[in-house]
Amino acid sequence: MERQLILICDDIEINRVLLHDIFEEQFEIIEAANGEDAIEMIELCKDSLNLIFLDLVMPGKNGIDVLRYMNRNDYIKRIPVIMITGEATVESDVKAYEYGAADIIYKPFEPEIVMRRAMNIIELYAHRNDMENQLEKNKLALAETNEKLMKNNEFLINALSSVVEFRSLESGEHINRVKAFTKVLMENVRLFYPEYGITKEQEDLIVSASALHDIGKIAIPDEILLKPGKLTPSEFAIMKQHTTKGCEILEKFKQDDNEFYKYCYEICRWHHERVDGKGYPDGLQGDEIPIWAQVVSLVDVYDALVNKRCYKPAYHVKEATRMIMDGECGMFSEKILNCFDMAKNEFYLMTQNDDIAMG
Amino acid sequence: MSYMTLQEFYDATGGGYDTAMRRFRTEERALKFLGLFLKDGSYQLLLDSMASGNVEDAFRAAHSLKGTSQNVSIVNLYDPVFAITEALRAKDMEQAKTLLPTVQESYETVAGQLRELLQG
Repeated sequence: MERQLILICDDIEINRVLLHDIFEEQFEIIEAANGEDAIEMIELCKDSLNLIFLDLVMPGKNGIDVLRYMNRNDYIKRIPVIMITGEATVESDVKAYEYGAADIIYKPFEPEIVMRRAMNIIELYAHRNDMENQLEKNKLALAETNEKLMKNNEFLINALSSVVEFRSLESGEHINRVKAFTKVLMENVRLFYPEYGITKEQEDLIVSASALHDIGKIAIPDEILLKPGKLTPSEFAIMKQHTTKGCEILEKFKQDDNEFYKYCYEICRWHHERVDGKGYPDGLQGDEIPIWAQVVSLVDVYDALVNKRCYKPAYHVKEATRMIMDGECGMFSEKILNCFDMAKNEFYLMTQNDDIAMG
Repeated sequence: MSYMTLQEFYDATGGGYDTAMRRFRTEERALKFLGLFLKDGSYQLLLDSMASGNVEDAFRAAHSLKGTSQNVSIVNLYDPVFAITEALRAKDMEQAKTLLPTVQESYETVAGQLRELLQG
């Protein structure tokens, strides 16, 4: 086995020789006579050093300076440092421990004791470093598994959502656009309206959940869902049920305390609510409607406007934006409209990229 | 003429023989470290920085001298060096100056005996 490496740093030769004599049989030893040299050697040997003996009082950079350097560069957790000092003053001892020294030994050295303490500390740190490496590996593996799971989930949600679109003879692009628009709008809500307390993680969940907003359309008969032209009041009443039917589907797989379920459910149920209370199915008002449902509601309206539907032509993006901003189509809170206003250029770009009719 | 033995040297400087032998195990190694002690520049640095009024260097020198004299178990040197180190730690140059003659006297005595020992 390769011999372990010790750095001895002390400005007084006799002290270095003393330690050198104790350890030379079992260890590889390098020496530094001041803090500057010590730092240079630590930098050179940082991956192979097993232990450092460090004098506190030295000319130029002293022991505390070396400890500071090791802290700044994150070496102090990996390479154990034993401080050597002439006397115990509580102040300097506390300082050394605060800076991450593993131990302090006082002159004069008793060889047997210095050796045993050094061995214990080397073993302790080697063990700890092993554990940390292992933990790091496990963390990486877990992240990888998580990512795979997320991708699978994403795939399943998209597949499920497009079943509905497939039936309504749409391209499947609607879902992707709704997700992309939701992301942009939700990001603005998170950044500019912190009062909603949205985190980046929640934003991602909401974007995924937005794909399922129309899942209830699966329960709407073909003659209504695919009817060209205006629906009669009774047909419209059935059409409206896609919100609650969607919730019925989701409720079969209800997961208590699951954030994602909550977003799916609330977006599905309330993406046709209006802040003035004139929406459906529950007639909620203002911020009674969860912000994520308000976002998907606007996104859904925008996407319907800029695309051709069996009952209407496609509007130009600018016209669609104006209609939403002026309250001609839908009714949205000032905050959501502000977010939309800030995001409209991104909406234009994404709409164009998708090659949607520009009116 | 007969030179001093290691035992005689330690008897004359405060009785640190047993401690030194426990630490160094052989007389040969003890002599090696005493040689290093004599070569060490801390004492000279203490005198120089006391003369030039540099209290930080003086503290460091006294501190080192205290450590090395402890390491080679020269008991007679430890007490006076300890006293001046504490005065210098408190940056009390006046107090340190009154303590310096005792340090010098002790060091010169020990150094004389040490030279005699190492000649042998």
